Amino acid sequence: MKDWVFGLTMTIAGMGVTFITLYILTLVIRLLDRLFPFKEEKKKEDK
Amino acid sequence: MSWTDILSALVTGFTHLTWQSAFLILLGCVLLYLAIAKGFEPLLLIPIGFGVILGNLPLAGLASSDEGGVLNIIYKAGILTEIFPCLIFIGLGAMIDFGPLLANPSVLIFGAAGQFGIFLTLLLALALGFTRPEACSIAIIGACDGPTAIYVTSKYARELLPAVSIAAYSYMSLVPIIQPPIMRAMTTKAERSVVMSYGEKKVSKRVRILFPVVAGLITILIAPMGAPLMGMLMLGNFLKESGVVSRLADVSSGALINIVTLLLGICIGCSMLAGNFLQWQTILVFILGLAAISLDTVAGVLLGKLMRVITKGKVNPLIGAAGTSAFPMSARVVQIEGQKANPRSFLLWHAIGANTGGQIGSVMAASVMLAILAGMGIAPAP
Repeated sequence: MKDWVFGLTMTIAGMGVTFITLYILTLVIRLLDRLFPFKEEKKKEDK
Repeated sequence: MSWTDILSALVTGFTHLTWQSAFLILLGCVLLYLAIAKGFEPLLLIPIGFGVILGNLPLAGLASSDEGGVLNIIYKAGILTEIFPCLIFIGLGAMIDFGPLLANPSVLIFGAAGQFGIFLTLLLALALGFTRPEACSIAIIGACDGPTAIYVTSKYARELLPAVSIAAYSYMSLVPIIQPPIMRAMTTKAERSVVMSYGEKKVSKRVRILFPVVAGLITILIAPMGAPLMGMLMLGNFLKESGVVSRLADVSSGALINIVTLLLGICIGCSMLAGNFLQWQTILVFILGLAAISLDTVAGVLLGKLMRVITKGKVNPLIGAAGTSAFPMSARVVQIEGQKANPRSFLLWHAIGANTGGQIGSVMAASVMLAILAGMGIAPAP
């Protein structure tokens, strides 16, 4: 394989996989946020 | 034994001092000056600078290549085994707050754009005649992440380790100087003045705890070659977010990262020797490293401009420049430039999110690079 083919393969695969992985993580974060939304913690009252 | 023999034994250090060693000792002193007088990354430059001086003293046996020497043992145990970068990632994970990213996950995509410079620099390095493993090691300077650069270079191009690690750490500290002119050149004042909605959305404790586990699982399953780095980063963050092992989180973000940084710095310094550092190749590495970080910034700002168009003006394109993993320097630079254009603009929250995304993105890019190299049958150095 010639160097420029190696470089282009690395660039396309590298950027492609990085973008796709981070996009998947974005979806996962949104899913987690839906499953476990933030709720104000109730302060425990002293008895 | 005559007085002449005694005298000659006492001056052997001086007689073995070459101009190349003297030059590198002077360079070590310059690094110490920059760290102390100018405040450039003192935590790193002081051990590196002192390591350069120790490593280049003739007959001292303190160079990384001096078999059996104390620094040679540390170098082999920590750098060549890639343990130091992994341990630093535990500390980094324990220091990072993914809160801004979890509150606004769409900024994570900037963490990918911020790695574009890595791959463009790879093409440049190949065009300049570097071998494939060398080109990958130089390009990874664009990750803006010292431990990642050391991890990849120690696997594939150990002869370039001193130049790559010094370039990576130097450019990280120079981010406030490198990025602003590029950001200003690529945006109009109207674009830089965009005020992004600021509502500090709160994230539940469960999401904070689950994120390092889930993110670690997904990224490692996709690119297992980067598991040592990503796994340690997420472990460190899990220690912090779990909230039940504060002692471990504290030691990771304090004593552990400090000790490893000290040893890593000395080892990098004592590996900067005349034979492997005073070469034209080193200058090329520095030029390509600068190109990598500049191209990261260009790609990030371009994606920011695209996002501004897509969201009909709701995104400030400067945010894209924070997609590198120079944490938190890039985020600070974005905040400062945004406020210069519009004092009402407060970009730090969004920029921190993009910056932590850059931390994940840089490890991901390095992992994919290692996976492709392995897939092509290019073996790491023995």
